[in-house]
Amino acid sequence: MDAFIELRGVRKAWNEGLPNQFWAVDGIDLDLARGCVTLLTGPSGSGKTTLLTLLGALSRPTEGRVRLAGEDVSSLPERFLTERRRHNFGFVFQQFNLIRGLSVLENVMLPAYPLAPPHGELRARALQLLRELGLEHRSEARVEWLSGGEAQRAAIARALINDPPVIIADEPTANLDTHLSMAFLAIVERLKAQGRTVILSSHDALVSEAPVVDRIVSLRDGKVVG
Amino acid sequence: MLFHPAVMALLLADALSLVLLLPAGVFAVRLLRHWDLKSGSARQINLERQTYLIATVLGFVFLVQILSLLLLVFTADRLAVQFVGAMCAVGTFNVNPFGFPALFLKLALFFLAATWLFMDHVDNRAPDYPLTRVKYALLLVVLPVATLAALVQLRYFLDLRADVITSCCGSLFTGSKTVTAELAQMPPLPAMIGFYVAAGAVVLAGLHYLWHRRGALVFSGLSAVAFPVAIAAVIAFLSLYIYEHPHHHCPFCLLKAEYGYVGYLVYLPLFVGSALGMALGVTLPFAARAATLRPVMERVMPRVVATATGLFFLLIMLVAWFSWRSNLVLL
Repeated sequence: MDAFIELRGVRKAWNEGLPNQFWAVDGIDLDLARGCVTLLTGPSGSGKTTLLTLLGALSRPTEGRVRLAGEDVSSLPERFLTERRRHNFGFVFQQFNLIRGLSVLENVMLPAYPLAPPHGELRARALQLLRELGLEHRSEARVEWLSGGEAQRAAIARALINDPPVIIADEPTANLDTHLSMAFLAIVERLKAQGRTVILSSHDALVSEAPVVDRIVSLRDGKVVG
Repeated sequence: MLFHPAVMALLLADALSLVLLLPAGVFAVRLLRHWDLKSGSARQINLERQTYLIATVLGFVFLVQILSLLLLVFTADRLAVQFVGAMCAVGTFNVNPFGFPALFLKLALFFLAATWLFMDHVDNRAPDYPLTRVKYALLLVVLPVATLAALVQLRYFLDLRADVITSCCGSLFTGSKTVTAELAQMPPLPAMIGFYVAAGAVVLAGLHYLWHRRGALVFSGLSAVAFPVAIAAVIAFLSLYIYEHPHHHCPFCLLKAEYGYVGYLVYLPLFVGSALGMALGVTLPFAARAATLRPVMERVMPRVVATATGLFFLLIMLVAWFSWRSNLVLL
């Protein structure tokens, strides 16, 4: 299976040059195949979120190379990295990061604006995604009125609006009860069936034991340990 | 004179430009020392982030500088009525020894600014920013010119005294042993041949490039040569045709209302066309070394060459039109 994302000798330092500098990710080699669900797991501070930001081109490695679909993106300036990110990744953040004051529909449509699709087409696509995720009836509601499960589904719809091949979710079940976590895993199953690559980070046993997960990458102190 | 609105605008524009350019110069030194796009270090990422901001600021500064050349000439022309002996901008620039140096420095800044803006435009379109070092090195060349231009202009405006009896353009372009007088005394026919050959060569070189995608550097070189030739042509014969006077050679009176501001019509294609050609010529040797710039240059160069070629063609047409419709018979 071809690797869609390759990491070679990747290290990422925070507080670089300061006395409290530390390597959040420390020498990771990793190949992630297309269409697979990969779970990053490990204790808090093990480097899961930093690794997700590197995999999702949200940040650049301090050392090492990151290749996305064969292209070395580790030294791409931010302007170009944004473009790659926009076309390849959808993100679901731990706190969902929905924009308060905007409706669910507006939040979902937002990441597509830089690509300037026709408004009617974009709106129809956003409504279709909300329908698939059972949230169409809440499309005009402000996001601050949503429940935790609804907010997460809105965040997933937003992540899918540009039809990215890769979905990245950071601790997606951290704020959800068991029932909602199961519903989330069902959505992951559907994303996998659509041929998308899904990368999750979680230390929730429910996720790590889910049959939908193809591969588990265990991290400790910024290193892959299993 | 300092409280003339246009003078205040010019001084303010220069002061603000310097306030923005000086820190940009410090940043340029830092960038030249530490720029390494292959590195993902915090320092490199900060340099990249800062360069977005600084390049945006510099874009505005250089646009202001380009416009300030126009404003300086326009202001000098408007101030002529205040000085005994002045008929146009020449008289105003002649009021003290800093007038023409200020103008020439602004002119140099105009071409440098155009080159920097073009380089920045091209550089931002390649994913590895291959011209970043070059454009910030160029900034270190621009900085002293901009500082000197601002200081000389300030000195010029500070020394503008209404009681000075200045000399009009007639004295500059006739009699005295100056380059301008020599140009003015040039016979019209060789000047015309020189102009049409030089500007025509630019147009032909441009068309050759657009047709065969070769010879861009020749086009740039020719547009650099055509600029002084065209200025000489304006002094030697075009001005005579427009004024319909066999001894009035001033290139500044063309900017006056009584001649329908035709000078702006003539100078705009000349300056913009030359600046585009020269900017391309300066950028090309550096761009040729970067493989990532090849697709960018393939997109940008035809547009730039086509625009500059069109402007030079327009210039030829304008010069021919003004010569043809004039009541003065020179040949």
